[in-house]
Amino acid sequence: MISLIGFSGLILSFIFNVIVIVSYYYKINQRFNHIFYLALYCSLFFMCLSFFALMFAYISSDFSNFNVFQNSHSSKPLLYKITGTWGNHEGSMLLWLLIMSLYNVFFSFNITLEDHVRKLTIVFQSFLYLCFSLFVILTSNPFLVNSIDSNEGLGLNPILQDPALAIHPPVLYIGYVGFSLILSLALAGLILNQLDNLWIQVIKRWAMFCWLMLTGGIALGSYWAYYELGWGGWWFWDPVENVSLMPWITGLALVHSLMITKQEQLLKRWVVFLSILCFSLSILGTFLVRSGILTSVHSFAADASRGIFILILFLTITGFSFIIFILKSPHSNKQINLLFINKTSALIINNIVMLIACITILLGTIYPIIIEVLTNKRMSVGAPYYNSTVLPILLPGFLIMSIAPMLSWQSNKLDKIKNYIYILIVISILTLLITYLTKFNIWGFTGTILGLWIIAASLLSILHNCLKYKFKKFFIYNNALIAHMGVGIMIIGITFSSIFQTKNNFTIQTGEIVNSGQYSLQLKNLKIEEKNNFQELLGIFLLHKKNEFLTTIKSSKRYYYVSKVITTEAGIYHDWFQDFYLVLGNEKNNKWSITIYHNPLVSFIWIGVMIMIFSGMVGIFKR
Amino acid sequence: MNKIFLFVPLILVMLISIFCLVFLLQGKDPSKPPSALLYKNLPDFDIINLFDDADVISNKDLKGRIMLINFFASWCSPCKVEHPLFFEIKKKYPNILLIGIDYKDKQEEAINYLNTMGNPYDYVGMDNKGLIGLELGVFGLPETFIVNSKGIITYKHLGPLTKKIITNEFAPFIQ
Repeated sequence: MISLIGFSGLILSFIFNVIVIVSYYYKINQRFNHIFYLALYCSLFFMCLSFFALMFAYISSDFSNFNVFQNSHSSKPLLYKITGTWGNHEGSMLLWLLIMSLYNVFFSFNITLEDHVRKLTIVFQSFLYLCFSLFVILTSNPFLVNSIDSNEGLGLNPILQDPALAIHPPVLYIGYVGFSLILSLALAGLILNQLDNLWIQVIKRWAMFCWLMLTGGIALGSYWAYYELGWGGWWFWDPVENVSLMPWITGLALVHSLMITKQEQLLKRWVVFLSILCFSLSILGTFLVRSGILTSVHSFAADASRGIFILILFLTITGFSFIIFILKSPHSNKQINLLFINKTSALIINNIVMLIACITILLGTIYPIIIEVLTNKRMSVGAPYYNSTVLPILLPGFLIMSIAPMLSWQSNKLDKIKNYIYILIVISILTLLITYLTKFNIWGFTGTILGLWIIAASLLSILHNCLKYKFKKFFIYNNALIAHMGVGIMIIGITFSSIFQTKNNFTIQTGEIVNSGQYSLQLKNLKIEEKNNFQELLGIFLLHKKNEFLTTIKSSKRYYYVSKVITTEAGIYHDWFQDFYLVLGNEKNNKWSITIYHNPLVSFIWIGVMIMIFSGMVGIFKR
Repeated sequence: MNKIFLFVPLILVMLISIFCLVFLLQGKDPSKPPSALLYKNLPDFDIINLFDDADVISNKDLKGRIMLINFFASWCSPCKVEHPLFFEIKKKYPNILLIGIDYKDKQEEAINYLNTMGNPYDYVGMDNKGLIGLELGVFGLPETFIVNSKGIITYKHLGPLTKKIITNEFAPFIQ
């Protein structure tokens, strides 16, 4: 019954989107104008109905629905029943549609753009919606009826039963899918030849919002990986991480380019290209993940027909967009001279760096496919490739970021350069001394110094601005600089946590104490707890630092009955400067093996991301 | 000159799509992971008869006939889907030896399962600890192996069988 309601909602929402497109072409009189918007709102209403029907089926453990049967279990806690709605391929595609529809309706409230541009954008967005809802209806219907009569489900993948991961997909999708609106806006602007200031102002806000959400989603995902996978790290160059990183990088380039387009009225072609690229990479990523071509921690049930369908979508949407781009591409009469030493050139060079990094990641991600097609051998590209290619590519970008604050927007003059140079030199010497006296590592040194340069240059620039404008409109002048400080902090966090991470293995028995660095760890006791849908082996440890009691750490292993899977829950003691990270291993002769990681400055990564998100939020709302 | 650059993204999109399409059409999906055991000898193992704990045979005793080894379990729902197909295989190719291995399952539930669904197998072995599965590198259920008369694994399929797979892919190996 509930499945029927859900499926009807899906179909009705499809039909109403067709009405939106049809009524656009018969825009003769005012009545059709009403129908246009009414159909748009109706489609959102029925989409919501469909989505909440599926959610209700999950909450009520309605195993007559095949999707619920495959992915849920009656003993699951309510929260994970709800989040189970999007914890699988079909449900997540439904969420995808809901978000597309939401974007379309929220965008229709926009009053800045001229009426015909807005309408054409809505039409394109509806068209994209139709493409993806066809995909859901034909290949990934979440409302299939279960042919087996069962009063119990098969359970959700246990590592997905986690609060951070429960909200990670929606946040990520709001960003990832949001780029569809950016594409629609770009196409509408191109076709109507209306890439004017208003258009830039509007697309800038939406692009910023999508990019922020994507940032938040990726950060949540890596935070989850950090404490749930128990591998001591937070980024693994997993194919799925890569496919979310690619639109993130192009989105970043887009947000930055939009900033100069406003200043310079140049680069419109480039902005449109990036707008198309963002959503193209989103679809390509979806294809790579959902077709099962690449295997990763995010395993979805693979199905070749789905793969071919998304590939066709990718080819149609991207191909169409790029053809429009070729035909209607705006001409710029002014040439850009990259030899000018000003902010514009710095931004353009950084854009190029970002694009190269993105292409490098793309190459690494699809390389196994190319090789297998050509030579019939299976191989995989892992972290070493990305670490040795992407990171060096990003270095010049970071270097430019650190000198950018001393450049001016329009002129070729350098502003108050002496102050900057002094500070950068002092920092360099200090860092060199400190690293030389402790553990010298060329990568560690480079990362630290770049991070510090970016922070120092941004701070100094903020100071200059404050002196000049006396704190008036503080955020208007300094917002970008604050974001850059966040980046600097993040770079330092990334450098330290990846290069100066230490890992030690111990065996320990109850009551015993092991020493690791400044810390000493005592195993207080081990107990087995029976939870609703899993059994937990919980190790309770006492952590001391220099004989001073700090905290109790719980590290555990869980055994999920239904899916018969064991997961590790790392025990983490967060300190501002160092995370103490503990993983419980196996037992041998009453002794337990444990792995202790010291992860320095991991908190800086999350702080940096939060600063970036905060400053992005300010960027959306500031006038 | 400038115009040419505009075509670059389109060409790249085309290239990527072509490679992915070829990949998909070649049927190289992960349900056929490369098996280290393919074209190698079947490892030796002992199996306990599901219906009689005292009856233990080794797969060495079974050499000389083409074998189809199917891993199944009562808790596995795709297994239920492919189950009726084994009766058809049995009917169509009466000379092959059909071996079912009950994987990580409870004995009484497996017996119950075969009683209700019917038993197409010539011999049903028990692997409640998953040890035989480990020997053969079983990824997930159901999984099917074909072993030729010389004891060499010639074919492996992960996931439920379909009529199409049986007519298109099985035929060369079991005739």
